[in-house]
Amino acid sequence: MTDWHAAYRERYKKLKEAGKPFFPYAVLKDTLVAALILCVLSYLAWHFGAGLEELADPTDTTYNPRPEWYFLFLFQALKFFPGTLEAVAATLLPGLGMLILILLPFIDRGPARHPLDRPFWTILGVATLAGIGWLTWAGYRSPLTNPVVEKDPVTLQGQRLYRDLNCSYCHILGGKGGQLGPNLDKVLGNHDDAWLTKHFRDPQALSPGTGMPKLDLLDDEIHALVAYLDSLGSGPYSAEAPKLFAENCAACHTIHGKGGDTGPDLSLIGSARDKAFMRNYIADPSKMNQASSMPGFSGQLTDHQIEDLARYLSSLR
Amino acid sequence: MTPRACWDWACERTGLDRVWDALMARHIPEARGPVAWFYALGSATLFVFTLQAVTGALLAMNYVPSPDHAYDSVRFIGSQVLFGRFIRGLHHWGASAMVILVALHMLRVYFMAAYKYPREATWIVGVTLFTLVMGFSFTGYLLPWDQKAYWATMVGTSIAGQTPVIGPYMSKVLLGGAEMGAATMTRFYALHVLVLPMVTAAALGAHLFLVVWHGISEPPRRKEQGS
Repeated sequence: MTDWHAAYRERYKKLKEAGKPFFPYAVLKDTLVAALILCVLSYLAWHFGAGLEELADPTDTTYNPRPEWYFLFLFQALKFFPGTLEAVAATLLPGLGMLILILLPFIDRGPARHPLDRPFWTILGVATLAGIGWLTWAGYRSPLTNPVVEKDPVTLQGQRLYRDLNCSYCHILGGKGGQLGPNLDKVLGNHDDAWLTKHFRDPQALSPGTGMPKLDLLDDEIHALVAYLDSLGSGPYSAEAPKLFAENCAACHTIHGKGGDTGPDLSLIGSARDKAFMRNYIADPSKMNQASSMPGFSGQLTDHQIEDLARYLSSLR
Repeated sequence: MTPRACWDWACERTGLDRVWDALMARHIPEARGPVAWFYALGSATLFVFTLQAVTGALLAMNYVPSPDHAYDSVRFIGSQVLFGRFIRGLHHWGASAMVILVALHMLRVYFMAAYKYPREATWIVGVTLFTLVMGFSFTGYLLPWDQKAYWATMVGTSIAGQTPVIGPYMSKVLLGGAEMGAATMTRFYALHVLVLPMVTAAALGAHLFLVVWHGISEPPRRKEQGS
């Protein structure tokens, strides 16, 4: 098994003696490559800089993180593993890959070195590369799991106000905040827009004895805050909503095991998308995701019905 | 003193001539044609690593690792610090370059089977360096504390948290608590600028030593030509 080791050592020694000194032959090439890389990086740094998005907002549940490009293939690969399998695959796939890499010299141990003399490993390498390339491309093309959510500017303004007014000092939203006031994650759906508007204008008038201070907000600001809170809470849906789903959506979508499998499973969609997203998506998917083959329902369902459906779907989490 | 005398003085006290012989004057098997350029990938990775260390140190001089100040300090670097935007740009694009170069370097070794006898240990240390680069990229991503940083790290740590059996512990250790916050940030910062650089420097030293000690692998030849 190891008789070729001595032969290799002998052959390598001869090659080395017949070879060239590291300096200047290799050093020259290394320097040229380093200079080229420095030029490319300087150009990129000078012209594009490094982006900086808005300040991190832990209460923003609608942000869709897109993985760095070199992790894209992994996220795309995970889509092949449904449900709980995905969690296992997320750690097993990279783990297995690393294990194979580490053990590689002990699996492939013959004397053959030329790629054409190791057809299995060469094909495996090329296939893996092609697979990663294809997955990266598919992940780049597919907005399905990571559509860029166009946020309503009014909602955005409300979100900023929520932060600037330090509402989280007393209220919990998105699992974060103080406990002096009601937990907004729990009570948001209980009140309508009119109540919220009055509440922001004069809390005492609506609920005497409340610890909520009067904030002296402008009408525009109140409107923005209400829009923001609306975008978070799903609100109550009618008993008709599940029927609407069964009639219009279940041919393609599944909820808790019932329905078709042409479209994505929506059993937990509420934890990934907010109500506003779903309302817009149901009305006209092509605006949110050009690759979608789902028809728009703005002609078939009334706005009221779409709102009802969106509330129902965002309650699924 | 003449330059010659200076050189002799230094050699007698530091062994510089023997270091030069061992590193620079050593012979390497000849690689002809375009293949020879593949051998520059390792040193290119080393070069970008050095660039990351230098730009990283410059960034650390103006950066504050706390959720309250990180974002503003990064904006400060981009708008007020002399060449700050350029340096941060270099560090940002250098991170991608690291991943690309490490991958290409690894592919060169893979397709040439340079991991075979007697260079198995060099390969294993190399794979370790690859995971360290991934660690750098993961921990560095959070530091600007913008939306992208926060939510991408959220996804990453929750994936780590789903590992069978050890997942919950891993996520707790990574986050420094039950959820992401100031503790996560200082933790990632310490990993990014203290722990990972030290481990990487050690592994890098071992990797380079092994490369020089075994000699760089020769361009592979077909079997019938004797391999």
